[in-house]
Amino acid sequence: MNCALTIYGQSFESRLLIGSALYPSPEVMQASIRASGSQIVTVSLRRQNSVAAGQDFWDLIKALDLTILPNTAGCHSVKEAVTLAHMCREVFDTDWIKLELIGDEYNLQPDPIALLEATKILIDDGFKVLPYCTDDLVICQRLAELGCEVLMPWGAPIGTGKGLLNPYALRTIRERLSEMTLIVDAGLGLPSHACQALELGYDAVLLNSAVAGAGCPETMAKAFRAAVEAGRFSYEAGAMIERDIAAPSTPTLGMPFWHQ
Amino acid sequence: MAKVAVIGFGLVGRLAALMLAKTHQVSVFEQGDANTVDSAGTLAAAMLAPLAESVICEADLAEQGLAAIPLWQGVLAELDLPVMFQQAGTLVVAHQQDRGDLHNFIRRLKPLAGHSAQSLNQTDIATLEPELAGRFSQGVYLPCEGQLDNLAFYAASFKTLKRLGVQFHFHTKVNIDGNQVGNDTFDWIVDCRGIGAKAQMQGLRGVRGEVARIYAPEVTLNRPVRLMHPRYPIYIAPKPNHEFVIGATEIESQDAGDVTVRSTLELLSAAYTVHSGFAEGRVLALRAGLRPAFDDNRPKVTRDGALIRINGLYRHGFLLAPLVVKNALTEVML
Repeated sequence: MNCALTIYGQSFESRLLIGSALYPSPEVMQASIRASGSQIVTVSLRRQNSVAAGQDFWDLIKALDLTILPNTAGCHSVKEAVTLAHMCREVFDTDWIKLELIGDEYNLQPDPIALLEATKILIDDGFKVLPYCTDDLVICQRLAELGCEVLMPWGAPIGTGKGLLNPYALRTIRERLSEMTLIVDAGLGLPSHACQALELGYDAVLLNSAVAGAGCPETMAKAFRAAVEAGRFSYEAGAMIERDIAAPSTPTLGMPFWHQ
Repeated sequence: MAKVAVIGFGLVGRLAALMLAKTHQVSVFEQGDANTVDSAGTLAAAMLAPLAESVICEADLAEQGLAAIPLWQGVLAELDLPVMFQQAGTLVVAHQQDRGDLHNFIRRLKPLAGHSAQSLNQTDIATLEPELAGRFSQGVYLPCEGQLDNLAFYAASFKTLKRLGVQFHFHTKVNIDGNQVGNDTFDWIVDCRGIGAKAQMQGLRGVRGEVARIYAPEVTLNRPVRLMHPRYPIYIAPKPNHEFVIGATEIESQDAGDVTVRSTLELLSAAYTVHSGFAEGRVLALRAGLRPAFDDNRPKVTRDGALIRINGLYRHGFLLAPLVVKNALTEVML
């Protein structure tokens, strides 16, 4: 079994991808990201106005010396997302892009139709696209057909912390797209949610609010790190099959056989 | 009597000059004019909100903010012009669909000596703010909090300092070298330049903030109101004569350029959902500025010989400045 996470040919030990927004201070952000053990950090270029204007913040991110995954958070149209992806490629010197295209302003649900369109354009432009999508199997299949090697279906809407709302759908995607790198992105609140995603066979999870919005982000980052490791070990070990009838785990030596 | 140079005439510089001017010979150096429109304090809502801010800052800073409120009363009492000051608390509300954000806010409030939040129902909200009756079914009241009128403070502090004989050097960018500021020598130099000191202070960054100042004669609020929202948490701070400061965005950027359309839409739409009377209000100003902050978002006071630097007050200028400045000056027995 390949024990490393693979994203577009690059291998990573850590299966936790972490965001850089919403922390109480840059210092807490750096400490939390370090504590998470993550090797990939997502950053949002949007609203930083210009490259030079955001330089101080980029320097803090770069000081972490991690792989940077820029995202198109806050984009509502194909044009916006494509433009921002090109800006990100220049600023961060990477062809990776977490493609996020919002369809509903209120719950930030991804727009699956615009997502397919933007994905096609960006792949043609030479990007390695990591699309943030819903847990719809057909959308995931279409994204895979366009050439995505990584898919990032949601667990629940961004920032809700509700965990995996539809484990059945996520399991179906895992089974049907068995060769893809699949990452649950968004909606996680508890370490147990992350653990569950890894137990389902997802290759990794991506989260931000669950750590940044915790009472002590640094400690919560450690909790997620442990949960992701536990979930992955469980998946690799192969869990026992659930059954309805109790089965003794301790041998009952000495008990007359007709009582068993 | 010591000879003291205060560099920068923003919020911190004004407080430092006020605390020093009666007993020392003070000179103020400022690169702009007396209105210091670049100063972050001219944009601020000037809320004194230690409890609400405890959600995002450490408990000790919130305690300091609480301790600074009576200091403000002392400072304002000695000014030559009246400055609106109130301690009528803060009202925090959320729309029905966002009550999760309100609960999250309540859960993250830190205990502050002897001061806590009070849960409100629809009737309680109507009692506190009659014009919000029926708009919100739940909220919290933070009774220990207050606010003041930042622009009135800027005007009053300048008038008072002139009377106290402070020497002003506007449109003057200075070099600090040992005890020298420009060609003059001082016993003490207090650097209060905020983001203006970026080149001299390692780790200082700007955090962009955008606010609207609105004249809305159809709106009456008795105290600052905060709206919890998953993406556009805003505050509305009522100033005298139906003026309201509505803010504030917080963006990790050094860009102090004009307010964006997006931010304007977010701030004003959110305010409109609190009170529809804002629809007929007049936009007096839309302004953007940079809050000076260090990596830990905490204020920092450093001393190097005769030079004292006070900086990094982030979004807590009015909340913390009187105490931070007083402590910094007391430490060197000024």
